[in-house]
Amino acid sequence: MFEGKYYNGRTSKGMPAFITLEPTYIRVAWQAGGESGTEIWHLSEIHKSEFNDANTILEYGPFPRQSISVFEQGFKEALEQQYGDAEFLKSSYSSFAKTGITGLVAGGLSLLALAIVLFVWGVPALAEKAAAHFPEEYERALGEQLHAQMMLDQTIDSAKTEAIQDYLAALEVKSDFPITVTVVKNDMVNAFAVPGGFIVVHDGILDEMERHEELAGLLGHEIGHVQMRHSTKAITRSLSYYMLLSILFGDVSGIAAVIVDNASTLHSLEYSRTAESDSDKAGLELLVQNKLNPKGMVWLMERLNSDEPEFLKFISTHPNTSDRIKNIESHIRKTNYKPEPNPELEAAWAKLKDR
Amino acid sequence: MQDTSTTEQETTITQPTLAFKGQGSELFSIQIVNIALMLVTLGLYYPWAKAKNLQYIYRKTEMADSPFTFHGTGKEMFIGFIKGIGIFGVLYSVLIYGMLQAQTDPGTYFICLLIFLAGLSVLVPIAIHGMMRYRTSRTSWRGIHMGYRGTLGSMFKLFYLNLFLTIITFGIYSAWFTTNVRKEVFKNMRFGNAQFSYIGEGSELFVLNIKGYLLTIFTLGIYSFWWAKDLIHFYINNILIEQDGKYSRLDSSLTGGQYFKLAVGNLLIMIFTLGLGYAWVVTRTMAAIVNNCEIIGEFNPDALAQTEEDYKNATFEDMADMMDIGLV
Repeated sequence: MFEGKYYNGRTSKGMPAFITLEPTYIRVAWQAGGESGTEIWHLSEIHKSEFNDANTILEYGPFPRQSISVFEQGFKEALEQQYGDAEFLKSSYSSFAKTGITGLVAGGLSLLALAIVLFVWGVPALAEKAAAHFPEEYERALGEQLHAQMMLDQTIDSAKTEAIQDYLAALEVKSDFPITVTVVKNDMVNAFAVPGGFIVVHDGILDEMERHEELAGLLGHEIGHVQMRHSTKAITRSLSYYMLLSILFGDVSGIAAVIVDNASTLHSLEYSRTAESDSDKAGLELLVQNKLNPKGMVWLMERLNSDEPEFLKFISTHPNTSDRIKNIESHIRKTNYKPEPNPELEAAWAKLKDR
Repeated sequence: MQDTSTTEQETTITQPTLAFKGQGSELFSIQIVNIALMLVTLGLYYPWAKAKNLQYIYRKTEMADSPFTFHGTGKEMFIGFIKGIGIFGVLYSVLIYGMLQAQTDPGTYFICLLIFLAGLSVLVPIAIHGMMRYRTSRTSWRGIHMGYRGTLGSMFKLFYLNLFLTIITFGIYSAWFTTNVRKEVFKNMRFGNAQFSYIGEGSELFVLNIKGYLLTIFTLGIYSFWWAKDLIHFYINNILIEQDGKYSRLDSSLTGGQYFKLAVGNLLIMIFTLGLGYAWVVTRTMAAIVNNCEIIGEFNPDALAQTEEDYKNATFEDMADMMDIGLV
């Protein structure tokens, strides 16, 4: 028999009670003021009791529930000994907590490991799979919107845009998407690809170029990004990260923000090293296909190289430019053809440089 | 602090102590199971996880040596969770669709944005009301349930009037907005036959925020901890409890220095455990708030009587979560 308090569910007054654990029920004999009574609690109607400490609490019956609170030592143990298998004592949470420090540490570490695996391999792999299955029309439509939105705060150089389109028309290009190139006024040496075949070239990089093979290499590189759907994959990836986090933390309000945010930062999207070197290879292939000097790709890299301040090279997450050059040169050695002059391309190039 | 008030309790029952007895390691073991199950179920376990979390936090929060109980279940909240996801899914689809049309068709974008904002502004008062009804009804202490008597109509009226005033004053009125919502919510909260009320004033909050903002700038951010302390005091110390015609008041003795220790400690825990220490952040915060809180006055914890009906609709519990509404 244990001593505790009985609450009848109608008032908050605790009534002194004697609690007896019978084989099939719990008997609560209470007494308050002049009144007293005895309650019979059937085991099946006792509610699940978790997280007890020095104070063991049991609740019983439908609303408003009766309850008992027992501080007396040994009550918890007696309950478990008497009704070990009963439903109201079962708790997967408590049983995990009972594994002690080792269990907690092991659980925490394996959760951390799982999270790392999921973030480093799982999400990117799934996202890329999904991006690869986007219908082309959908990707083109998405690209159209993103491109239009980006052009809002850019100044388009329409003369150069026309000339670069002429140059592109004279090139032999393999692509699933119609390629649209736009030249914008910006001194930064940069160019980027938007999903669905849109390429944006800063006039800053055109001014740096001395030979038209460099432009062919640049277009080939960006078309490579488009063809291999790198930016679509990058958007899908950052979106999936966000969705995973919002599932974990129960917040959905930011998903739209991520899509919008990506529209404005597409030009600074980080591609992986492999994505960059695959696109470099695509640029080289375009040169080879058009029988242009493969060195164009190397010259292009040197333009990028000269632009980058020395101190940034260490921290830059972009593939190291000199590594890229080495990589390209090793591929050039494997090629075996004689570059041929292409008057049509040269004429278009001259026109572009004129404007 | 703890010791003095327990001895006091033997002589007088009018000053019940509040205490939080939760431990980081216990909560951690609950959260690990939760996260693992959420990963396995792709997030669908969330309502059950939340229920278990709340059950633990309530169970370890004590008044006059008796713990609170959270009666909500994952099953009840799951239905609300699904409805919430559905409603938000529709609203965000409309918004994203509009954004994609923004360049080609600004008119459609405008309409979509309008639908989205209108949808949100209808949902916020509904969510506050629904959450208060559910959360209070699933909270009990010594078997006595809390309750919420407010009507959706009065919440709507208050919300739109205050929203309007906030917009035309360019946000200045938001201090009164916050305070008025608290007044409405607490006025309708019952704890058995005891009734809450909130007596903070918008002007007080406004001055407090201006002062906090300016001093935070002048002290290069150091004052922000005292600002936060002031806000906690404003939110807690203005809560009154009326029981049988007698009033008592909640009183927080949390100091700026204590809050500083709490906030910096929490930050360090999160950084050095890569987020795994979140359970300790929760228990530390609860302990700092609850253990520094007292009930001043003639509140008699033994004299509460059951007054509320059973209520189980959890539709808006999770929706409030999704909109980041946290009232108490």
